[in-house]
Amino acid sequence: MKKISFLLITLFAFIGCSESFDIDVSFGNKESINPGIDDAFFSTYKPMDSQPILFKSANIYDGIGGEFINYDLLISNGKILEIGKSLSAVGVLIIDSTNKWITPGIIDIHSHMGVYSAPGVSTSSDGNEATSPMTAEVWAEHSLWTQDPQFALALKGGVTAFHVLPGSANLFGGRGTTFKNVSQNTIQAMKFPGAPHSLKMACGENPKRVYGNRTQAPSTRMGNMAGYRSTWIDAVEYTDGMNEDNPDYRPIRNLAMDTLMGVLKGEILIQNHCYRAEEMAMMIEMSREFNYKITAFHHAVEAYKIADLLADEEICAALWADWWGFKHEAYDMVQANVAIVDQARNGSGCAIVHSDDPVGIQHLNQEAAKAMAAGNRAGFDISRAHAIRWITSNPAKAAGILDQTGSIEIGKDADLVLWTGNPFSIYSRAEKVLIDGAIAFDMINPEIQPITDFDLGIIKPIHNRVK
Amino acid sequence: MKKLFITFFIFSSSYLFAETILLKGGLVHSGTGDVGKIQDVLISDRLIVNIGNNLVIDGNTKVIEVNGLPVTPGLISPMSNIGIVEINSLDVTRDDQSNILSAGFSIFNAFNPNSTLIPWNRSNGVTSAITSPSSSSFPIYGLASFFILDGNIEIKGIKDVAMFGGLGASYDSRAETISVLDSLLEIGKMTSTIPLTEILEMSLVDQLELQYQDIIALGKLVNEGLPFVLETNRAVDILQALAMKKKFNLNLVLASVEEAPMVLDQIKESNTPVIIDPMDNIPNSFDELGSSLELGKILDEAGIKIMFSTQRSHNYHLMRQGSGNAVAHGMSYETAIKGMSKTVAETFGLENRGSIEQGKLADIIIWDGDPLEPASFPKVLIIEGQIQDLTSRSTKLTERYTNKEDKPSSYKH
Repeated sequence: MKKISFLLITLFAFIGCSESFDIDVSFGNKESINPGIDDAFFSTYKPMDSQPILFKSANIYDGIGGEFINYDLLISNGKILEIGKSLSAVGVLIIDSTNKWITPGIIDIHSHMGVYSAPGVSTSSDGNEATSPMTAEVWAEHSLWTQDPQFALALKGGVTAFHVLPGSANLFGGRGTTFKNVSQNTIQAMKFPGAPHSLKMACGENPKRVYGNRTQAPSTRMGNMAGYRSTWIDAVEYTDGMNEDNPDYRPIRNLAMDTLMGVLKGEILIQNHCYRAEEMAMMIEMSREFNYKITAFHHAVEAYKIADLLADEEICAALWADWWGFKHEAYDMVQANVAIVDQARNGSGCAIVHSDDPVGIQHLNQEAAKAMAAGNRAGFDISRAHAIRWITSNPAKAAGILDQTGSIEIGKDADLVLWTGNPFSIYSRAEKVLIDGAIAFDMINPEIQPITDFDLGIIKPIHNRVK
Repeated sequence: MKKLFITFFIFSSSYLFAETILLKGGLVHSGTGDVGKIQDVLISDRLIVNIGNNLVIDGNTKVIEVNGLPVTPGLISPMSNIGIVEINSLDVTRDDQSNILSAGFSIFNAFNPNSTLIPWNRSNGVTSAITSPSSSSFPIYGLASFFILDGNIEIKGIKDVAMFGGLGASYDSRAETISVLDSLLEIGKMTSTIPLTEILEMSLVDQLELQYQDIIALGKLVNEGLPFVLETNRAVDILQALAMKKKFNLNLVLASVEEAPMVLDQIKESNTPVIIDPMDNIPNSFDELGSSLELGKILDEAGIKIMFSTQRSHNYHLMRQGSGNAVAHGMSYETAIKGMSKTVAETFGLENRGSIEQGKLADIIIWDGDPLEPASFPKVLIIEGQIQDLTSRSTKLTERYTNKEDKPSSYKH
């Protein structure tokens, strides 16, 4: 049914379509990530109702380096249909986008929204299962509070998808999950369909401080390493056991080991909190020892010191523009960190600007602007069209969802932001934010601004919390 | 070659004291609230001596062609930990809290002019700062001082320019906090009529564990109009603070005030300036349910004096990004510039600085772009007439790790 209406539009609705194509528009994919193991908690996400939209005369950053000045963009059935000059279509909503900019929806690879919800009271502190340094068995998504008012604020800042991670108290913190930034009152209905889980690992000061203060392991960086390695040894044995043909020889199912096995099989992506250069290099060596892949280092204040290594290993670094000094391992900050990582090995590095913060997530475009300016002051020549990838396609890649979103390419999800001006200016705001082609936020229309249950009538019954 | 130049620069700059500098043709935002216009600024012997067009200069004047770039006063952080906190998680690098003193806890003697935060914040546009004790469980945190961020070992600043405190949610009832605050202010009031020795004998003083220094400081607070920066958010707490201001005739400054829009008229009537973080729209606690990105706009439209803080430690220059966001949400541009300069100077009694006006100390920045765009940086930064070096540990590390020479990084310097 969906497919039919989609084809009708492609056949009749517009002129100038140069190629025909076919897109599977099924959602709520029930296929598990890890067949036989993760057969529960799958995404039940369904896009909001949408109509075909033609953005006229927009300026576009496509998220993968392209800049299109004064182009039209047509979306239908939640997908990007065409980018071109003088497109026309019938039966579509036309949005005059003159002097405005369109980018892919912003994606944050490091968020704790929903697991450290606002208000930040003890009852909402659900992000760190800090009862053991090894908690690969917990899933951040199982803590998520769907009514966290921070989601809607992030949406207002153009964020269409975000990856929620457990905190960094533990060596193995548990699984992270990618969500669509949609208002739903079940966790499963927010889950990004088909997105892989991640496993949060943490280096350095946090685990050794949390457990060292309790005079238990780890209390040192060498204790951290021993903790990871002995756990990986168990995981390799478990995985080998699970591969036995005879079910009788397989080990008893273990949630933590399921997660680690998912990593060893390449189905679960490692998101590794790590600040210092030599620690990141050790984590890379350990990934070779146990034959798994690190997808991204997070925070990585010293990533610039090993930028070539990260580029060679095809590991992304998810970074702040300028945070520093709150702890010792965050002391060697350079503003050009993002740029140096990005430009390593002739520009083959994968840099991401992340937030780890409910305020920062609302302004990732400004954070990218700072990082770009700092890079150019350090002697690089980085364009805005290039830098926008730090908050769109690169985080999509690190979340394992680049096939669906993160760039403006024909056939991809219509996750888009229409900005009032150039997104690298502080004066520009997200005017419309679209998720799968549906307008999820409209600055101009209060009817299309989500208000969570928490926000509703909480100060005075007749007024909602925020505009 | 580069090194020679820098050495020469530092050497010469220390002898620039009497040098006359003309900033020619900059877009001058004076910090007074006036709209920016293209003007020349003449600086001589630490002071701004003239502002206008086609100023007459002699042959010894150093001329800097500004070519229409923005020129602003040096920015003043009204609320920082600069010089007293190096690394937050390491108590041995922190001098921002006292276990013994409360109101009388002055951080002045702890200030470290070699802190890495000084060149860092300076190179990003902050030329001076109010450094305050951090919050404590007691409603009065202690005394803040003002510092010039030139990194000189001979510290330039003003000791004890303001008292800091807070009122809001804690483990105990805020009614208790208000009662304690009231008692503290009463004690301060007594110092004008009752001898200190007698006050020290009072059971209330004993009960509140007040020391000699605390009582002296409370006296300054109540009887000498010392600015009292009170962090508070909940609308009704703001009203409590305003009632205290009235009762004790306090020189009150409200900070944070995320629910200010609900009590706008009262704040306005009381002529109380505020310090806000315009980007903090998160309802972090049940005291902040009314927080929004429009706070700056609403306060500005009411004509309330606004200054800017930032949530992020170490990066006090991010008040530029904060005020820029406030402008994006409706605050006037010149209110933003003024809020980072003249408003701070006026509020904390820094009479000789904070704006580009004739006779003021020359703390001036030429920017490479709009200073409210966080991607802009200072091009030339002047403190009291002297051009400052913009090197920081961060720029040194950047140079080291963008240097492609094939040798260990430790030998790249």
